Amino acid sequence: MAVADISRPAPAQRRSWRSGRTADQTRWGYLMVAPMMLGFAIFFLIALIASLYLSFTDWKVISAPNWVGLDNYVKLTRDKVFLDAVRNTAMLTVPNVVLRLIFSMLLAIALNTNIRFRAFYRMLFFMPVLTMPVAIATIWKWLFDPGFGPVNAQLGRMGLPQPEWLNQPNTAVIAVVIVLLWSGVGYDMIIFLAGLQNIPREFYEAAQLDGAGTFRQFRDITLPLLTPTTFFLSVVAIIGSLQVFDLVYVMTRVGNINRFPTIVYYIYEEGFKNFRMGYAVSMAWVLLAVILVFTLLQFRLQRRWVHYA
Amino acid sequence: MSQKLRSNLGHLLLHIVLLSVGIIFLLPFIWSISTSLKPMSDLFQVTPNLIPSQIRWANYQDVLDYIPFGRIYANTIIVTVLRVIGQVVLASLAAFAFSRMQFPGRDFLFFLLLAGLMVPQQVLMIPNYAMMRQVGWLDTYQGLVIPLLFSSFGVFLLRQYFLSIPADFQEAATLEGANPFQIYWQIYLPLARPALAAFAFLVIQWSWNEFIWALIMTSRTDMQVLSVGVALFQGQYFTNNALLMAAANMATIPVLLLFLFFQRQLVEGITLSGLK
Repeated sequence: MAVADISRPAPAQRRSWRSGRTADQTRWGYLMVAPMMLGFAIFFLIALIASLYLSFTDWKVISAPNWVGLDNYVKLTRDKVFLDAVRNTAMLTVPNVVLRLIFSMLLAIALNTNIRFRAFYRMLFFMPVLTMPVAIATIWKWLFDPGFGPVNAQLGRMGLPQPEWLNQPNTAVIAVVIVLLWSGVGYDMIIFLAGLQNIPREFYEAAQLDGAGTFRQFRDITLPLLTPTTFFLSVVAIIGSLQVFDLVYVMTRVGNINRFPTIVYYIYEEGFKNFRMGYAVSMAWVLLAVILVFTLLQFRLQRRWVHYA
Repeated sequence: MSQKLRSNLGHLLLHIVLLSVGIIFLLPFIWSISTSLKPMSDLFQVTPNLIPSQIRWANYQDVLDYIPFGRIYANTIIVTVLRVIGQVVLASLAAFAFSRMQFPGRDFLFFLLLAGLMVPQQVLMIPNYAMMRQVGWLDTYQGLVIPLLFSSFGVFLLRQYFLSIPADFQEAATLEGANPFQIYWQIYLPLARPALAAFAFLVIQWSWNEFIWALIMTSRTDMQVLSVGVALFQGQYFTNNALLMAAANMATIPVLLLFLFFQRQLVEGITLSGLK
């Protein structure tokens, strides 16, 4: 899979070519990675250390930071808004990840046939992926408008209840997941399509000779051989869902009140609206820990479940 | 039923399903365009019509009157161009050295970059904001651009590609006395053009849509980029949906067309990033 493969060291050069030029190689090598590594050191390494330090302080931008030990982290466990944000984030992550994988896999399988207008369909499903999330949120906020929006108009025509979608967490999560699916399925579909194209045709031909039907072929060939892709995409989807910000910034916020704050929204609000930077950073570290757990968990599970063609 | 007929029937069913899903995917765009052209009186109907009662192009002019859209557009283009050039140059240089050269600590430095991919940007956002504030780069192009130039992701992507180019070119050029920078610039960069294009389009697409960093870096209207402009416009004029849709369309539709035109490169980049 992607990361494991990417981290493999580059093959050593042939000796004849290398010998005698080692000093030269070293000089040029450092020179060429220097701009990248310098920026990385400043905006990543130093920032990371500063961030960890700040999470143990009460820094509020205007005054110098004071060390408060674990106070921020203890406070988080009792902060009702933070716990709501965690709940909201979890509530959108689970359905988003599951439905996204199912829909995108189905679309990819449908487009992996020799059906006509494939490129056209692919473009349709891929368009939202390319669209600015803030604009997407602006459009969907209007679609979900409780009084004058098309969604509720349609529900009304069908005699169904017309909720105030974005004003309460229970319906806001449905709306946000719909928008996340609409704007995310196309990405997964592209990757699944690439994965499907890597499955050798002969497998299906052999299965057909053995009399396996479409469903058996899916269950016994497609699904197991797609596991590397599925695992990769589930990690991407989980990490992406845990970091939802743009959508809720526009969709569920009226004035200064957000009816459906996510973790990242609350980080933003505490850090840049209330200027409690130390506190905001401690939340970001909790988020980092959760993301790391999922990433490592996926790697462990992957070793056991993933099949390679 | 003959095999052929069954297969045709299956395709017909598939077309019906795909077309229905496709229409659902297209509808928000269609609503957005139709609403952006509606006169005020159309906006407050309990059952909105998809077709405007009359076409009002002036909504687009109104947006331009309310916010300095031209300036914000120019900002977005400037920032995007700088980010693309910066990221492509920095990442390709490093990727070349990481894939094609030997030097002590090479693999360690590379793993350091790899670790960078695991850290969510929210952890770094606040100290980087503080740093920008310290050096007086809030509301500047360099503040919007420089902290986002160092993309580990680009290094991985391009390194993979450089590794797939045979080392023979490098050996031959070295024997003729070319130095590693010349080899990178004159041989490997041209050969890596497809990968560079794919990466550049990913950066354009990301940069155009990027929101949170631009939001915290800018407070002056004349330094805003489109994502921030649209979001703040939304917060201010949330009752006039025709104007909101006009703003959203102006921010997205031109580049969306560009992206669709270069769809192949983008899909290639996305596929490269997703799988080996």
